[in-house]
Amino acid sequence: MATYLTRRILQVIPTLFVISLLLFGLLSMKPGDPIDEMRRGNPGFTQADYDRLREFYGLDKPWYVQYWRWLGRVMHGDFGPSRQFGRPAAQYIFKYRFPNTVLLSGLSLLVAFCVAVPTGVISALRQHSSVDYVITVVNFIGVSIPIFWLGIMLIYIFAVHFRGFLPAGGLATPGVTGTWPIFVDRLEHLLLPVIALSSLQLAQWTRFMRSSMLETIQLDFVVTARSKGISERRVIFKHALRNAILPLITLVGLNVPLLFSGAILTETVFNWPGMGRAIFDAILVNDFNVAMVSLMFISLLVLTFNLLADLTYALVDPRIRYG
Amino acid sequence: MTDNNNADPRPTEIENEVPMRHSESYWRYAWRRFRRHRLALAAGIVLLVLILGAILAPWLTPYHYSRQNRRNMFAPPSLSVPDGQAADKCARPQVLWWRCGIHPFGTDDLGRDILARVLHGGRVSLIVGFSAAFISTLLGTLIGAIAGYWGGALDALASRLIEIMLSIPQLPLLLILVGLLANPEVRFGVILTGLLGDSKSIVMIIVVIILLSWMSTARLVRGQVIALRQRDFVEAARAVGASRVRIVLRHLLPSVTSVIIVQATLMTGEAILIESGLSFLGLGIQPPAVSWGNMLSRAQGFLYYPNGVYIAFFPGLFILLTVLCANFVGDGLRDALDPRYHGRV
Repeated sequence: MATYLTRRILQVIPTLFVISLLLFGLLSMKPGDPIDEMRRGNPGFTQADYDRLREFYGLDKPWYVQYWRWLGRVMHGDFGPSRQFGRPAAQYIFKYRFPNTVLLSGLSLLVAFCVAVPTGVISALRQHSSVDYVITVVNFIGVSIPIFWLGIMLIYIFAVHFRGFLPAGGLATPGVTGTWPIFVDRLEHLLLPVIALSSLQLAQWTRFMRSSMLETIQLDFVVTARSKGISERRVIFKHALRNAILPLITLVGLNVPLLFSGAILTETVFNWPGMGRAIFDAILVNDFNVAMVSLMFISLLVLTFNLLADLTYALVDPRIRYG
Repeated sequence: MTDNNNADPRPTEIENEVPMRHSESYWRYAWRRFRRHRLALAAGIVLLVLILGAILAPWLTPYHYSRQNRRNMFAPPSLSVPDGQAADKCARPQVLWWRCGIHPFGTDDLGRDILARVLHGGRVSLIVGFSAAFISTLLGTLIGAIAGYWGGALDALASRLIEIMLSIPQLPLLLILVGLLANPEVRFGVILTGLLGDSKSIVMIIVVIILLSWMSTARLVRGQVIALRQRDFVEAARAVGASRVRIVLRHLLPSVTSVIIVQATLMTGEAILIESGLSFLGLGIQPPAVSWGNMLSRAQGFLYYPNGVYIAFFPGLFILLTVLCANFVGDGLRDALDPRYHGRV
């Protein structure tokens, strides 16, 4: 186990290296550079200033030299300044953006998981019933609906049609004070984005849970448990469910990083200042440092959760042994 | 949107042994099974109607899709000509019951007919969906088959590539790719502009979707090929001296056809969703071309206008309908082509 773990962790490093090289290369192929952003809206900005700044930041060098310098700084924990905001890129991302994303994505993940497991189990236990049929069709709709359109429709219903029943977007209402009002306000702002963001995962996980459960209740050990005269409730919850949920845990683990990077559509619709939007804007205005730090962080998350999913699987399933 | 995360950590069923009736070919049998799947059959018919509507759009609509009418903006859906509205500047006075001046889905912020735009937008969205899905499945199959059958260094290379492509956050990659292809300094984009003119953004979006979606097919086909490689019929082909290319093309790929067809169907829906998301963010299909995604890109801003919601409602509804039907058909095909799957997934 220890050697396996060491090997897997060591494998992460070269993969991250390749990803960073790839991303840096791709980013530097984009037209324009961070200096363009400074030039915009500054009439006193001369060509000489432009050349001087390019030289100062090393942007006149070929991209692999820039990459080498970037790597050197990153090794010392310095991800460089954000040219949009004039503060360190890492500070901007981790202090102002990442917490919002954790809140929105974490909650969506939790909601999706807590709803998907019971729904999937009911659907499987009542296979071919009308309940199963309805759940299946709703799941199909869940995987087929464009998330941003669902978001827009939710906003229309709850914020426009029912005149401000729920806020149309944003993080919080300015000027709200007191612990309880702030908490309620937060929840109101979170409700619609969470519904929109969790819909896809919810549908996929329910479907997955259903097929996993269907497969498990046919297995020999469930039949054995039943024939021993254990109550049906015990058979389902103690024997079948605990085994059927294993593959779902792996899938959830693999989906976690996607929620942290892939929420851009939801964030755009609900004007939620999270990571997805930050990366999007950073790439659009060539704020490379911000883009690189967030992208590398997300890649690291993906790799870590892949590893964690494998490990959890080994922990909860005694049949799996890593040599 | 771009989350193609149907990753199934469990091993998939490999065998394609179909309990065939005598004197009935596999495909006849599959068709018989597919017809029994009412929902999939209905979805297939709806999909066909949508495709026909898109193909025939220029002849089905009295208006041109970009015809503006500043005197009739934000009109609600209606089947009659509003009072005081003289029908003006129609391409044709009447198509079936659809007379000039009627706006069955209402009009948008510039007084353009939403139904006409939805029908025309369907052309672009469906072309993007089908061609991206087709080419991406083809590419994935090719890479997967080569990696699976040749093995060794080629397999290692392909597997690493797949893994890296899946680890990189998709959306930023998309952004960078779109930026690159639209960049006047990049040769490939310039050549495309010269070749295609206005429809460049359509080809660009197809290329981007293909580059980002071939991996799941490749992984699927690779697994199937590896499982089939050692089977007797392949050994037999090898024994009589069939070349590698022949074994892959004549013996291995036909055995995985059913999987590939299902994958292509599901990929179509996925591609349409990606296109709509990208166009929504303003990166996909560029105006004056119209697609379901780019009809939605400014729609959120009109929610507070009276009747403004229809600008967002109808294009999204058609995306949902199309992707839903594609998924139902894919599900039905899976049942029909691989009976062992029946009722399980």
